[in-house]
Amino acid sequence: MDKLHKPRKVFVSGAISPQFVADSIAKHQSKVDIGAHAIFLGQIRADEKTEGFVTGIEYSAYEEMAEQTFHEIREDAFSKFDLICMHIYHSIGVVPTGEISLFVFVSSAHRRTAFEASEYIVEQIKTKVPIFGKELIGPAGEYIWKENK
Amino acid sequence: MTINILYFGMLAEISQQAKESLSGKENMTVRDLKQQLCEKYPEMCERKFKVAVNQQIGDDTTIIPLSAEIALLPPFAGG
Repeated sequence: MDKLHKPRKVFVSGAISPQFVADSIAKHQSKVDIGAHAIFLGQIRADEKTEGFVTGIEYSAYEEMAEQTFHEIREDAFSKFDLICMHIYHSIGVVPTGEISLFVFVSSAHRRTAFEASEYIVEQIKTKVPIFGKELIGPAGEYIWKENK
Repeated sequence: MTINILYFGMLAEISQQAKESLSGKENMTVRDLKQQLCEKYPEMCERKFKVAVNQQIGDDTTIIPLSAEIALLPPFAGG
């Protein structure tokens, strides 16, 4: 049961596949107290830099602290919002442009809670979790370290 | 005392290693450690980073306890 709020594995090696997202949705069909899901998917943009276009991001992390921080964000969100379910997945390693690197999935009885919780969780992840990213550029192996705004 | 430091992202590139052990004085603060690191890696001083002490973000006045795990964290880029 999600209500026990056990620490969960967040990191996924490489891109998060659309099939994984679809399967996650399907797993909730038996939970009939849910009336609203909100899903946030972060996708890698092909930003243009002076060196060329971004072809992907290589993520690394201080994994022990990051997993703990994800756990704290989950606990905090469960206490702030009346959620039935919450799942967070983040990529580690290389994710090519156009693919998914972050999947936040919250479920509640009504829409407003789901909307607000998903935004809150994404903002918390952006500012608090020690994840680092290299924006990979061109075929020659150039890169720029990314920084969340 | 020995301080175990983990470097991440661009900071690992500057130090050219993912971790190292330095010797420091007892009751030293994060500020003291930063000064020590600046002398060893001048380029690091020009970078923005946070210091985690036993996986908690510290500030300049945080005291580094015995056998602490220190991590130098460049700007976050998750999401």
